[in-house]
Amino acid sequence: MKPVISIKDVLVRQGEDFTLSIESLDLQPRRIYTLMGPNGAGKSTLLRTMALLTLPEKGRIRVADTGSGNLAQQRQKVTLVEQSPYLLSGTVSDNLAFGLKLRGIRGSEQKRRILYALAMASLDGFESRKASKLSGGELQRVALARALVLEPEVLLLDEPTSNVDSKSLQAFEELLRKLPDHGVTVVLSTHDLLLAERLGGEMLRIENGCLVHRTGRSSERHTAEEKKSWLKLLNAQGH
Amino acid sequence: MGYLTDSLITAIELISSFDREVTLAIWTSLYTSSCAIVFASLLGVPIGLWLGINLFRGRRVMITLLNTLMALPTVVVGLILFGVFSRQGPAGSLGLLFTPWAMIAGQMVLATPIVANYVLAAVDGSDQRIMNTVLTLGASRFQASLQLLKEIRFGVMAAVIAGFGRVIAEVGVAMMLGGNIRGSTRTMTTAIALETSKGEFAFGLSLGIVLLSVALFVNLFLNLLQQR
Repeated sequence: MKPVISIKDVLVRQGEDFTLSIESLDLQPRRIYTLMGPNGAGKSTLLRTMALLTLPEKGRIRVADTGSGNLAQQRQKVTLVEQSPYLLSGTVSDNLAFGLKLRGIRGSEQKRRILYALAMASLDGFESRKASKLSGGELQRVALARALVLEPEVLLLDEPTSNVDSKSLQAFEELLRKLPDHGVTVVLSTHDLLLAERLGGEMLRIENGCLVHRTGRSSERHTAEEKKSWLKLLNAQGH
Repeated sequence: MGYLTDSLITAIELISSFDREVTLAIWTSLYTSSCAIVFASLLGVPIGLWLGINLFRGRRVMITLLNTLMALPTVVVGLILFGVFSRQGPAGSLGLLFTPWAMIAGQMVLATPIVANYVLAAVDGSDQRIMNTVLTLGASRFQASLQLLKEIRFGVMAAVIAGFGRVIAEVGVAMMLGGNIRGSTRTMTTAIALETSKGEFAFGLSLGIVLLSVALFVNLFLNLLQQR
């Protein structure tokens, strides 16, 4: 299967202290990937690079078969929800409509997609709420709905559960698990190894800007070598 | 004291009776300053935005230059543009000297660095996540810049108002490029200077009251924006 994101010999420099260096990384469509690693390891930088917001100094990154498109067209295939998302001024509905308008989606189709995305994020009835009046958890879910409404091929989530309470977390996990069936590849960074395990996707471990470890999906972790690899990751996380 | 009180009463009478001279000077001031601020905004907002979102070699130098231009003496601008618009000057054939358009050009030169600097400050002070958010939602860099302007709209309005405040209160450009021609290029500030020198203190005072009222209104509006 053709990878939805393909990274080859990518080098990203952030100031003088930090360099992200990824030799090769292919992400398959309709899967969940969990990005793990200590603070400052490069998780957010890697996600921003995948979102084409930070462009590499060297190397190649290809997103969702958009070789000939310009940068804005390529970015329309992949959406990043940052750890501390920014909501545009206006209502929740204005926020969700923004990306749709850029894609030429207006009128009843726009409204239908907004209501559907809000329902997916358990935000029914939030359309006309002012973005500035939302709580931290609501803001996070609106940012997720704003990404989902665009039906991206790749959804990148930077520590999406940091502001989510335990009740919402369960609904959030269920939602994430469903996304691959809707054609979405999910890449999320987290410190929560148990969440990563529950989501059942592949795990990528990053340290000092380099990808140091990759385990298969939990359902595929059958061989002794794979189990050993999983234990190694578990130990690295301090569990 | 009686002189001041009498002058004040006469000034209020002149304003409330819509004295033709007073009304004309107010109209000329508002007209030229409004046109100048529209052109200055069309130029200054993109400059401030561009400087704010792009990091490039020489950016610091450009910002320093912009800061310096903010303090441009009005008579120097008047002097330079007088040379440009005078008959022997490069734009002499246009016949703009001593017309409202020469005043508008001069006031635009004064206001543009102010507008650009205020917009730059608004961009610098804006949330750093705005651009990335808009870009990841699929905007081009141009569309993202427009959205950034929308997010910092109060800062942009403050920039326009600050520029307007500068040009409506200036006298050097209006005097040197407009020539203080009655009914054509005589503004509130040039009329105050002329009438007071002629001993018409009450007339000058009436225009001074209007000018202060405009400044007060502009500041009130600015405060309102800052509170939002």
